Amino acid sequence: MGIYVGLEAEEYDRVYRDKVLIKRIFHYFSPYNRLMAFVILFLTISSLTYSFVPVLVSTAINNLETNRNILYLFFLFSVILILNLFSWVFNYVTIRYASQVIANVVLDLRRDAGSAVLNHDLSFFDRNPIGKIVSRINTDSRDFGQTVDLTLQLISSLLVISFLLIIMSFINFTLTLITIITFPLFFVLALSFRKIARSKTLLGQRALASVNAYVKESFSGIQIAKTFRQEEKLYTSFNDVNTTSYKVNLRRAFVLNAIFPSLGIIQGIVLTLLLFYGGRGVLGNSISVGELSLFIQGLSYLFFPLLTLASFWPTFQTGMAASERIFALIDTLPLVIQKDNFKPSRLSGEIEFKNLSFRYEESKEVFQNFNLKIKSGESVAIVGHTGAGKSSLANLLARFYEFQEGDILIDEISIRNYDLMEYRKQVGIIPQTPFLWADTIENNIKYGNKKATRRDVNNALDSTSGSDWIKDLSRGLGTKTGERGSLISMGQRQLVVFARVLLENPAILILDEATASVDPFTETRIQDALQKTIEGRTSIIIAHRLWTVRHVDRIIVLDHGKIIEEGNHDELMTKGGMYAELYNTYFRHQSLEYIEKMKQLV
Amino acid sequence: MQKSTTNTINTHYVEFSPGKDPFEKARRKGSRRWILKHIFHGSNKILFIIVLITTIVASNLTSIIFVLIGNAISDFLIGNYSALFFYTTIILLLSVGTPIMRLANYMLREVIAQRMERDCRREFYTNLLGKSQSFHEQQRIGDLTARVTDDVRMLNFLISPALSLIFESFTSLVVPLIYIIIFYPPQLIFAPLLFSILFLFSLRSYVRKLGPITGRLRGSFGMMNAILNETLTGIEVVKGTVQEAKEMEKYYSKAKWYRDAYIDQGRVQAKYLPILFLSISMTLAFAHAIILNFFNLMSIGEIIAYYGLIAQLRFPTFISIFVFAIIRLAITSSERLLELMNRETEIDENIKGIKKVIEGEIKFEGVSFLYPKSKKPVLKNISFTVQPGQTVAIVGTTGSGKSTLTKLISRLYDVNEGKILIDNIDIREYALESLRSQISFIEQDVFLFSDTIFNNISFGKTSSFEEIIQVANEAQANEFIMDFPNQYESEVGERGVQLSGGERQRIAIARAFLSDPKILILDDSTSAIDSNTEDKIQRAIRNILKDRTTLLITHRLSQIRWADLIIVLKKGEISAMGTHEDLLKSSEEYQKIFIKKFDVDISQLIKQKEDS
Repeated sequence: MGIYVGLEAEEYDRVYRDKVLIKRIFHYFSPYNRLMAFVILFLTISSLTYSFVPVLVSTAINNLETNRNILYLFFLFSVILILNLFSWVFNYVTIRYASQVIANVVLDLRRDAGSAVLNHDLSFFDRNPIGKIVSRINTDSRDFGQTVDLTLQLISSLLVISFLLIIMSFINFTLTLITIITFPLFFVLALSFRKIARSKTLLGQRALASVNAYVKESFSGIQIAKTFRQEEKLYTSFNDVNTTSYKVNLRRAFVLNAIFPSLGIIQGIVLTLLLFYGGRGVLGNSISVGELSLFIQGLSYLFFPLLTLASFWPTFQTGMAASERIFALIDTLPLVIQKDNFKPSRLSGEIEFKNLSFRYEESKEVFQNFNLKIKSGESVAIVGHTGAGKSSLANLLARFYEFQEGDILIDEISIRNYDLMEYRKQVGIIPQTPFLWADTIENNIKYGNKKATRRDVNNALDSTSGSDWIKDLSRGLGTKTGERGSLISMGQRQLVVFARVLLENPAILILDEATASVDPFTETRIQDALQKTIEGRTSIIIAHRLWTVRHVDRIIVLDHGKIIEEGNHDELMTKGGMYAELYNTYFRHQSLEYIEKMKQLV
Repeated sequence: MQKSTTNTINTHYVEFSPGKDPFEKARRKGSRRWILKHIFHGSNKILFIIVLITTIVASNLTSIIFVLIGNAISDFLIGNYSALFFYTTIILLLSVGTPIMRLANYMLREVIAQRMERDCRREFYTNLLGKSQSFHEQQRIGDLTARVTDDVRMLNFLISPALSLIFESFTSLVVPLIYIIIFYPPQLIFAPLLFSILFLFSLRSYVRKLGPITGRLRGSFGMMNAILNETLTGIEVVKGTVQEAKEMEKYYSKAKWYRDAYIDQGRVQAKYLPILFLSISMTLAFAHAIILNFFNLMSIGEIIAYYGLIAQLRFPTFISIFVFAIIRLAITSSERLLELMNRETEIDENIKGIKKVIEGEIKFEGVSFLYPKSKKPVLKNISFTVQPGQTVAIVGTTGSGKSTLTKLISRLYDVNEGKILIDNIDIREYALESLRSQISFIEQDVFLFSDTIFNNISFGKTSSFEEIIQVANEAQANEFIMDFPNQYESEVGERGVQLSGGERQRIAIARAFLSDPKILILDDSTSAIDSNTEDKIQRAIRNILKDRTTLLITHRLSQIRWADLIIVLKKGEISAMGTHEDLLKSSEEYQKIFIKKFDVDISQLIKQKEDS
């Protein structure tokens, strides 16, 4: 569909040929074929009747001028009245059916785009910011719907204009010519205005955006401003930004408001010309008064639809681009693909990475020929510097990403052969930043297991961190957690996630330990929760806590995608290798000795 | 009793005021009065009057054109050749002049509209600056910015196009009718008058029906966005717990709401009756005129002119489809703005209060506090004393009241019961300026402005480059700042350097150093991932603690361990208080932290102390 200026392209964007795009759009309308046929039919009749009224009015005036037949005139009135009534009814039907069709097509688009997105693997979300995906699904589909609506109006306008022009040209060719001679000028003017208006609007939006940004910033930092008593400083800068926005937006408004009067001037000139030539015709008896009145009336019938037409083209382009973007989203294929759908009963949790090679992008190898075997029920801590491949290991095990070579065997069966849903049900994942839904604590704990009862929830809490901390919250289990859990503390969010995972009772636990600091009381609880959650299941922990590395069965030291050392804390410390170095870098400050020596440190 | 109420109405406390506020009274009289006050504020009223006059004149000109066309046609019919040139010239002048008049009209109304936006925004912003911290803590930033941009913009749209179009509609409803009465048989007013009445009634019901539907559309669209946003933000959890289908269902049900609202909107819009009334009235009017023609009361030219005048009613008919929706939205928007601006705030600048250099002794005497509109006290009967220069560590879980306690000291909130004394003087007796300028705050999520590092450090006090470097050194920040390509001139934030939590904290410490406060409040929840950074943070904190009274909210065991006084808060009450050694002996909860974390027993902990 060509190039649409000002729209940023995404990785999954593709360019559809016009024919393909139209075909896709028609495909979405096909379930509503019958309704759509009604819409088109009534639209046409409605436009016809609408444009017929001025013709009848002029006929009436003609009759008045010539043979003055009152019965004929009465007949004309009745016809006009009926036409008006019909025109309104047809218009009513058109709008009703059209809105039904559009609403349903938009809904279908949203459904398809939404489920396409939900089925993507995580690499898709790494590449595409969520805000943009959401706006594609919701806003682009809305824009598309509006475009369809506009297209219908456009068709109606075109029909009215054509009908009128055809009739008018039969009546008087010269006057018709005078009327349409300004059309090109009209279009050029309207389009060039649009161009200027667009650039001015862009400036206006930017100015407003900077006001927005400034306000956001000053109220985010209001406490600082208040404690330092610097309100005046904020006020002055705000005034600058606000005044700039005023000036820029006023200029924009001036341009936008010039268009109608300018077009009005054209209309005025045409009116004068019509009156001059038409008047001459009347005086020379070559044209009737009724005909002249038709042209004068017609002027207002023509100019309004013309305006719609002129302003329509860019909107049409936007709508087509919007549909193109949604289709691109729907058509992108997920990368993680299962080869079979083996449904395991209960996994025992034995894991083997076999000659595994993996990379997120070409030429940046994360693992090459990686081998690791984890026994059923074993707890393993993974340590290493940033970029060593710790999270990649967890991501692959959760099947969030597709690996390139080798294999991952779970209970001696390739991870690719499981039914993905069934497999994931037996894998518990605790991400580094705990994510909670804007819901109650209870519903958050039940998220993976909707059938759980309140007693199950309490049990899960009891067997992780204890449930007494919940009672201290304002509404207990019914306490709202806010967006992403923002209403409760980071530590409490972690506790909720532990309970959630325990309720799922997974065979394999993947835990990326949080690095955020937590108050000492909650920290103690998290330790309890961790200890109890890893019991009796295979656990892979990306460890950041000194306590964790000291308590797991085995520590794996990763460096650049390779295993450098293995063993428990004491063994590795006495060895004095990479682990001892990592300890000194990441864990030393968590030790009791460090705290006790604090006084001397400074 | 009566006296005290009048008193509270007349004194509206503000923490900041840049000058006289001309809209203060109008704000309290409701949105309509407030909007009117803005429209007629200063030179706006002259512009407004000019806009009204030009609208009326333009409408008159349009009507005159039709009368003239009618006259012209009458003259043509009797073969008056000389009239041709006269009429064409005059119609040309008028039909070109009218748009030009309109242009001027539009420009002026835009000036009013844009001024309205600018002034309301400034008023709103200033007003918010004057509100207390307790107010700001209840606001969500996204909501505030939405009000400052979108809602204020709606007031712009209220003037242009909404109010001006309504006025234009009204004149093009009335002026043609006057012309009809003046130039043609008065009885011809029958059809247009009938239309006007029907129009007003059906319009009212149309607007009433459409309003709630528009609200539903906006609401369901917002929900669709919110749900999808949340689902995709938590996509890892969705996939990990296999809830894709349920999430899709959640979204789909909201999308269906949207569809239903859209269809309902179509139904109401389709049923817009004024269009039907107009076409029927026009036909009736036409018939009426023709009947008069048979009685020789009207010429053909006049019929055409009359029909042309009636056709002007189209403008109000079509414009009303959308204009009233804008008015509705604008009123709602202005109510949203006023709602916040009229919220009372309780803390005053207290310009006449005590101004003195403080020593730094802090005393809480039976302090209780609850947030406005809440019933559950956050702090209950808190009493303790801190000597000048001491360091106090406040520990407790989230919600125990730690940060609220510290915020009371600089009067970001006022206590409900008991009192807080600094140097034995109630803090409410100090001038706000004097009190706050001697207390520094380093908050949990350090906020830095999108400005250079230099300006961020010197935010509270304009300083020389040497001073800045010195404080940055003390705060252990100089080293990493010098590593940036633009060093102290580096921009912070999206367009500039990205700072880690520890780095932000050290910049905030430098900022606090510069203002050299007597009392420092440090909400220290930053965590260092590596031990080197931890060393630096520890040093920076140690440096700033020296010689000032410090209240530390901290998760760092090392800071707690060495504080002069540790206060353990639980559900708003002091559950334990003392030094590290005291607490190891007296508080089981406190003991547990060390025992669990380091797998030691109590005797080892106490012994360790003796070793050091």
